[in-house]
Amino acid sequence: MHDIPMMPSCQAPISDALLLDYWTGDLSDGDEMNALEEHLFACGECSVRLQDVAALGAGLTTLARQGRVSGIVSRSLLNRLQRDGSHVRMYWLAPGETVPCAVYPGDDVVVTALRADFSGVEAVTLVVTGPDDVPFGRVENVPVSGARGELLWANPAALLNRMPSIRLQLTLTSSGAAPVELGRYVLEHSATALA
Amino acid sequence: MQAMVDASDGDIARAVSARVPGAAEAAEAELYRRFAPRVRLYGLRHLRDEDEARDLSQQVMLVVIEKLRAGTIRDADQIASFVLGVSRTMSKDWKRLDWRREKLRETFLPASLVTIPSWDASLDLDHLEACLARLADRERMVVLLTFYAEKTASEAGKELRLTEGNVRVIRHRAVERLRTCMTSR
Repeated sequence: MHDIPMMPSCQAPISDALLLDYWTGDLSDGDEMNALEEHLFACGECSVRLQDVAALGAGLTTLARQGRVSGIVSRSLLNRLQRDGSHVRMYWLAPGETVPCAVYPGDDVVVTALRADFSGVEAVTLVVTGPDDVPFGRVENVPVSGARGELLWANPAALLNRMPSIRLQLTLTSSGAAPVELGRYVLEHSATALA
Repeated sequence: MQAMVDASDGDIARAVSARVPGAAEAAEAELYRRFAPRVRLYGLRHLRDEDEARDLSQQVMLVVIEKLRAGTIRDADQIASFVLGVSRTMSKDWKRLDWRREKLRETFLPASLVTIPSWDASLDLDHLEACLARLADRERMVVLLTFYAEKTASEAGKELRLTEGNVRVIRHRAVERLRTCMTSR
């Protein structure tokens, strides 16, 4: 990241945690914020550290807008992507269902929504396997709730575009010492977009 | 020019006020180089809009330099505090200042001075994507909710069924991991 320019070293650097709280809006208006801003304007070193936080945030925002996010996403994150104009292709699967899927030109991100009954379940584990049970991915301990819940699994369209046609099995279980299976789903991924 | 880079904020402000031909221009450029990015950050933090933050930065610096030229800033050593004060006032009144912004833009500084270096252009997005993918799912979700969806720790906590404190700890750890990953190849 940034090289710190030549200037007197800061005598009382702001902690990384406080810089993050300030940048993310978790520091309420008041004396602490006023003092922090006075320091940031007078201290090149700390302002450069804040610039690095800002640059990281800007980079993450760009990645998200380009659909370059993978893993479990929340409903609000998905809504934000759609609101920002990302082309999100959705596939919905109920337990036991097999769904053909593909990536189409213009897609930014593909989201697979796994529906299940999450009654009494606090967190789930998703295991994705390919042919011959070859491990493809695993996501553990994702918080869920509700009898008609859904788990949203996102993958960048650019990544899926490079995949061959493949049958993926997704297994959802409750997390914890005694996992209970909540659903099995199959995605029939086609390397070329379906007609 | 090197002397300006090594000078204190107060010395630079005094050099702008002194209006010595040649030296004053270099001092103005250094003052701008030093403070414009800080005002832009302030604008980004409070206005949450890149274009408005850039405009705010330019306008604040125009006002500050004009005040220094006019000799109306009494304590040059408090220039940082003065810049912050102007930033606060201007960002609060931002929407009402459209007419003044245009007037200022036409009046004061050469265009070559009012460009702010872009600090996010240096970020390698491919590398950041790989670093993001290496985070634990919960960490990835927290940083995306924080930086992209602009959720506070409390809001992200409600969504992820975590306490606000938990979100802050996860966020801090995730940002540290991203930084470490970005600086190691």
